[in-house]
Amino acid sequence: MKIHRWLFVVLALFIGIGAGIVYGWIIDPVDFFNLTPDTLRADFKADYVLMVAEAYHSHRDPGLSARQLAIFGSQSPTSIASQGWTYARANQFAEPDLALIQELVTALQAWSGIP
Amino acid sequence: MSRFPWGVFLALLLGFGAGLAYAWVISPLQVVDAVPSALRDDFKDQYRSAIAAAYAGAGNIERAQARLALLGDTNSIEALNAQAQRLLANGEFQSADQVVLLSAALQGNGIALVPPPSTPSMQPADIQPSLPPSTLSPIPTSPTQEIFTSTPEVTPTQTFAVAATPRPTQTPIPTIGVSFKLIAQESLCDSNLPDGLLQVLVLNSNRRQMPGMGIRITWETNEDRFFTGLKPELGNGYADFLMTPNIAYSVQLAQGSDVASGLIAPACQTSSGEHYSGGFKLTFQQPK
Repeated sequence: MKIHRWLFVVLALFIGIGAGIVYGWIIDPVDFFNLTPDTLRADFKADYVLMVAEAYHSHRDPGLSARQLAIFGSQSPTSIASQGWTYARANQFAEPDLALIQELVTALQAWSGIP
Repeated sequence: MSRFPWGVFLALLLGFGAGLAYAWVISPLQVVDAVPSALRDDFKDQYRSAIAAAYAGAGNIERAQARLALLGDTNSIEALNAQAQRLLANGEFQSADQVVLLSAALQGNGIALVPPPSTPSMQPADIQPSLPPSTLSPIPTSPTQEIFTSTPEVTPTQTFAVAATPRPTQTPIPTIGVSFKLIAQESLCDSNLPDGLLQVLVLNSNRRQMPGMGIRITWETNEDRFFTGLKPELGNGYADFLMTPNIAYSVQLAQGSDVASGLIAPACQTSSGEHYSGGFKLTFQQPK
C-alpha cells in the first residue's frame, strides 16, 4: 500500500516535469530579442547577400562587400556569398538576381583581401 | 471521505517547477530562423544600410520598401533619417548619402535614382535587365514571431509579389553638373533661434523642397557636409548648421551651385542690450 502511494508521487513528479517543459518550450518559450544576424532564417540571409550583390554591381568594391557580409560572423565572405547563391538557386530566385550573386561570389573569390 | 492526495499534488507542482526551470533557464530553445525585426539595434542599422546600398545600386524602391518592412520600424522614414544622422556623426558620408536618398525616395519627393551604368567588360553575360517583373526574386516575408526549432531547418521562401522594378526616369532628377542658383541670402537676428544658426533651404525648379541634398560647408582649412531632409518637421528641403562666431564660412550644394561665401555670424543685440550671434538663411533653387 505504501509503495503504491509513492508510485503515484513519482508519477506526478514526472508528469509535472513534462508539463513544465511543454509550457517552457512550446506554450510560452523565452522571448528572444537583440539577436545577431547569424540566427537569421536562410531566406533572409540569402536576401541580404542579394542586397550586397546589388550594391556590388554598382560600386565594384569587393572589400566593401566583404565588410557588409562580415555581419554574419567569422565565416569567410566568399563562403557566406556562396551559401546565399546556393539557397537562391535552390529556391528559384530570378535569373538576374542569381547572376548578381554569382558576380559577387566570383569577385570575392578573386579578391585577395588586401586593399 | 477520502483524504486529499497532498503528496501527489506537491510532486506535480515540484515537477512542473523543475520542468520550467529546465526549459527556460538550463536549456532554453536555441534561436534559429530569426526575423530581421528581432536583430539588435546596431545590426538593424547595418541591415538598413545594406537596403539603402542595394537601392542605390538597383533603384528598386518596391523591393527596398518590402525589405524595410521586415525590420518592423514604426516609421521607416524616421528610422532612416535617424540612422543618417548617426552615420554622419561617424563620418560615414557615403553610407549616409545612400540612406538619405532612400528616405527621400520613400517620401516621394522627386529624387529618383538612375542605376549607374555597368562597366561593360565586367557585366555578366546572363544579366537580363529587361526581364518581366514576375521573374523577380521573392523578398522573404516576416512571420509574426521567430520560429524556434531544436534543429536548424531551411524554411522554403514564402512568395511575395514584387511589383515591376520601376526604372525611374519620369521624375525630375537633380542632374549633376546643373548648378543650383542661390536665390536668397538673408542675415537673421532672432534671439529665439540658436546662436550662429545657418539655415539652408533647397528647392527644385517648381519651388518644392528637396530632401537628401548634400551641402558642403568650408571654413578656414576645414570642411563638413550636411543634408536636407533630416528635420522633416521643418521642411523636407531644410538643413541647418551652427556657425562659430568670427569665422567666415562658404556654402554650396555638393551637386554644384552658386557659392555663398564670407558668411560670418552677424553680431545682434536684443532690445534689452544683450549681444548674441545671429544667423543666415540661404535659399538654393534648381534652375528650370
